[in-house]
Amino acid sequence: MAEAAPRTEGRGADVEGARRALAAALGPDGVLADPLALRIYARDASMVEGGCALVAFPRSVEDVQACVRIAAGHGLPIVPRGSGTGLAGGATPIGDALVVATARMHRILEVRPEDRLAWVEPGVLNLDLATALRPTGFTYAPDPSSQQSCSIGGNVNTNAGGPHCLAYGVTSNHVLAVDVVLPDGRLERFGSEGPEWPGLDLRGIVVGSEGTLGIVARICVRLTPLPPATRTMLFDFPTVEACAQTVTDVIAAGVVPAAIEMMDHGIVVAAEAFAHAGYPTDAAAILIVEVDGLPEAVEAQGRAVEAAARRNGTRHVRVAADEAERALIWKGRKNAFGAVARIAPHYHLHDCVVPRTKLVEVLSGVYRIARRHDLVVTNVFHAGDGNLHPLLSFDRRVPGTLERVLRASEEIVRLCVEAGGVLSGEHGIGLEKRDFMPLVFSAEDLAAQDCLRGAFDPDRRMNPHKVLPAGARCGDFAMARGRSVEEALARMPEGSWI
Amino acid sequence: MAVPTLHPHTKADVRAMLREASGRGTRVLVTGGHRHLDKGNPVPVDVELWTTQLDRIVAYEPADMVAVVEAGIRVGHLAAVLGERGQEWPVDQPADATVGGVIAAGASSPRRLRVGAVRDSVLEVEVVTGDGRLVKGGGRTVKNVTGYDLPRLLTGSLGTLGAIVQVALKVRPLPRARRTLVARGDALDLGRRLLEAVPLAAAVLASPGTVEVRLEGWPAEVEAQTAAARRVTSELLVLEEADFPTVRPWQDAPVVVEAALPPSRAPALAAAAGEAWGALLGAGIVWVGLPSADGALSGLRARVAELGGIAPVVRGPGGLGEPPPPAMDVQRRLKAAFDPRGILAPGRGWGGL
Repeated sequence: MAEAAPRTEGRGADVEGARRALAAALGPDGVLADPLALRIYARDASMVEGGCALVAFPRSVEDVQACVRIAAGHGLPIVPRGSGTGLAGGATPIGDALVVATARMHRILEVRPEDRLAWVEPGVLNLDLATALRPTGFTYAPDPSSQQSCSIGGNVNTNAGGPHCLAYGVTSNHVLAVDVVLPDGRLERFGSEGPEWPGLDLRGIVVGSEGTLGIVARICVRLTPLPPATRTMLFDFPTVEACAQTVTDVIAAGVVPAAIEMMDHGIVVAAEAFAHAGYPTDAAAILIVEVDGLPEAVEAQGRAVEAAARRNGTRHVRVAADEAERALIWKGRKNAFGAVARIAPHYHLHDCVVPRTKLVEVLSGVYRIARRHDLVVTNVFHAGDGNLHPLLSFDRRVPGTLERVLRASEEIVRLCVEAGGVLSGEHGIGLEKRDFMPLVFSAEDLAAQDCLRGAFDPDRRMNPHKVLPAGARCGDFAMARGRSVEEALARMPEGSWI
Repeated sequence: MAVPTLHPHTKADVRAMLREASGRGTRVLVTGGHRHLDKGNPVPVDVELWTTQLDRIVAYEPADMVAVVEAGIRVGHLAAVLGERGQEWPVDQPADATVGGVIAAGASSPRRLRVGAVRDSVLEVEVVTGDGRLVKGGGRTVKNVTGYDLPRLLTGSLGTLGAIVQVALKVRPLPRARRTLVARGDALDLGRRLLEAVPLAAAVLASPGTVEVRLEGWPAEVEAQTAAARRVTSELLVLEEADFPTVRPWQDAPVVVEAALPPSRAPALAAAAGEAWGALLGAGIVWVGLPSADGALSGLRARVAELGGIAPVVRGPGGLGEPPPPAMDVQRRLKAAFDPRGILAPGRGWGGL
């Protein structure tokens, strides 16, 4: 199935008419139709590849509205796209889709420290926003590891996380309002510049909706005061269990650090070779813990964390002496996914979340599954949140490998769900995980979610095939549960392949 | 006039009751501790469904900082259970309010600058829809993007979408030290200076002639914050472990409005609000006490609207007020998806939802 030609859907779509209308509305450089160029937009950073009919590059809210109206008028489904760094196939287009890429909407519109808010366009990159805010004494707290390249619009659509979500919360906690172009082309503001808003929390629904409800065209983010002091610590442990137990002990001691990140031996070796951060490559696992706040709070939390690490047998305690050393410690962690290319050319990862207290049990299960399928697995994850990132490294050119990877990853997902976990902590469901949804939700739950989607998008024009499995239908409560890998692969939407 | 009441003991009871109500077209008001019922447009109903018998703690693992409880559990009971393990669900609502009621009303803590809003603490929700379906959304982990965010949809929905029967809550460690600083003077000016000077305060509440600064955290941290406050004014009353706030001049008014507006505009509203107000500086919440729900209320609401905010009544008559919510067609379709027969307090929500 791997290289089968994609079949298109949505027959009757008038692609050429849409192209002409988009070129008239956005200018000739505002729309892409060259088949070779379109290939770039056929996927995001996941394993799923699709295809699209056109890509549009709006520069303003009005442009976005034009894109949506033209797509509707010419029968094209719409796939919103930020930086394309998503890991679940949420931005992978299928069939005769119009991809609306927001990369050219990259202005920070307004910064109002007195109201603790800023308005930005969706194409603003996460790190660019944090950097621009720094002189005001505030920051935008969510910091996904891809923050150099991921956009705020993409962050909003996936309800992105990041290491510092442990203390500061995920994207949804930091979005005050969104201006959304609905599937009929109308612009609506959900949420408010103030702390409360009239009506149902539609902003809360749009955040994390993976582009299935509308296109987020402007975002009002909450500003968080920069902490007066920060301490970044690195511990190394002889066993994975001791490392994970430290996490549990820290939380049990009533300390909620800004971040607790765990890396196992395999990923430490790969990241060290890339970042030269001075990671101890002979440790079974390392822990990066950051505490922040007033200097007095940093001191108290730092002592408590260090005590927990020592109790669990850390061999060294490294405290970043300055901002440069702190940046170096984080560099290895934030670039870990890139660094695994040293292990094998391809990787596949999940981002299941499990209760913190189940970390040790689930991790040993993950190693067991990888061994059984003869795969290399490395783990780097947000341990404080219980948000795993088991990374399976492989070479898909070796026959049979991809199937083993998919089988192992399904077993990992089932293991996490059985431990009381959820499918995704921050990457989203997209295409890759949608057929796992029945593992955590009943048919009635999924039907209700489809009703919710239909309330925004009655024609199901926005990012079709994503998030909900094919059988979930509003008003239809009978659907199959838990499918096999073969069935799941066979059920991938027409026009997509792994 | 009192309406008949229903007292389900199980989720199955709730399902059966609402299914039957939908079949008959009986209008139902879902209630908990009757502490937040004034928030919402007053509408006639045929029956009240009390969730107070659904009061079990389903699962609580302190090391996960997650508590799963049935919706009818009282806030005070939950606080006692969490407190034994050194944790809290930070909402600061009346002890006899129910967890479900607090969530349905979207009632957040006055410490929201530090602890966040109630919408950020609901991880999973189980809701019985108007036609008796049991629907779950979210998950029991502190972080989750698996499917649409039903917990946030239900938070603040005022009982118009379903009966919340169970929730998973994100809880947090109790602060090791708590302190309230009280200063007297020109409250809005003094409050502004204290908000700027005291890093990471949990709340700065200005009311006529008084500012209260709420501090919480590690003992040394609270000391440092106190020292920062003293650099603004030396005349500080220091109250250890006291309730917060100590004065609420708006509290005993017949009508209490909870205005929400961009934080920098809160002082402008407070300055024109008479003598019965309190403003959470930096957070954009202003409570105003009014003698009645007539002319004064519409005047206040007009002023709040100019300032870009909303002004629902949270105690007494007066309802939610303007403006109508955005995308009313979307809101109506959401209502229809969860309550197809329209039996759940129809008209109680914003825009008459």
